[in-house]
Amino acid sequence: MKFAIPVLLAVLPLAAQDIKMPAGLDRLAEKASDVVDVSLDGALLQLASRFLSEKDPDEAHVKRLIGGLKGVYVKSFEFENRDEYKESDVDELRAQLKAPGWARIITARSKRSGENSDVYLKTDAGQITGLAIIATEPKELTIINIVGSIRPEDIRDLGGHLGIPKIDIGPVRNDKDKNDKKDKEDDK
Amino acid sequence: MMDDFERQIKDALARKDPSPFFEARVLAAVKRRAEERRASARMWWASAIVAALLMVTGSAWQYQRTMREEAAGKEAKARLELALKITSVKLQRISRKVEGI
Repeated sequence: MKFAIPVLLAVLPLAAQDIKMPAGLDRLAEKASDVVDVSLDGALLQLASRFLSEKDPDEAHVKRLIGGLKGVYVKSFEFENRDEYKESDVDELRAQLKAPGWARIITARSKRSGENSDVYLKTDAGQITGLAIIATEPKELTIINIVGSIRPEDIRDLGGHLGIPKIDIGPVRNDKDKNDKKDKEDDK
Repeated sequence: MMDDFERQIKDALARKDPSPFFEARVLAAVKRRAEERRASARMWWASAIVAALLMVTGSAWQYQRTMREEAAGKEAKARLELALKITSVKLQRISRKVEGI
């Protein structure tokens, strides 16, 4: 009983995180040239929210957006060379993102650029309660987990605001060649 | 009757020598009162200084707490913006690919 409360307090952030990050990711962090590791639980989100201005339209929008969130977790690794990580490094993670609860809503694969992305949604009684993204590129691995009520398009549409770059999404058929060219440039 | 009254008056107004050590007792009482006043003033000043110190310490602690909280809040906001930026860019790139198919 004496240890129950500390153990509970230690486990709560993991519970809020919704999915468990594989321990192997720490090894990847050692190999990566650049690492971004953002871990914001409900308390930190509330704290951040207090510093978002109601007067600034962009910040007010984000404030409303994060109002229904319980956690935001992002891990991104950039490597000097290709294939410094294996797909199996995220297998443990993918195994957690399965029904019931989770559903993969988008899979985008590019053999040319080697860029693969999966978007998962967690629903409960018809309400979205979580979002997860696994994006792999030959030199980059990004894992995103957002816990709480969120619509992916709300975050996507932040492009062009708050210093977030806006990527032209429009009808791409005509721009496909241009995009292909950009992909090739990215690979270089 | 009148003689008795006059005698009483005379006795009451008659010059009498003070009791032994009267002067010493008066001076001691005066000194004691002065000592008490000084002690009371010292106690008042000590209380005022302690209260002022408590106020200054409390204000400094509150200020530091506010500063720490502000720094933590600004850092959390910056981390949130970074997380949203990464997520938004990824989702935009995925959308572009999906729209491009």
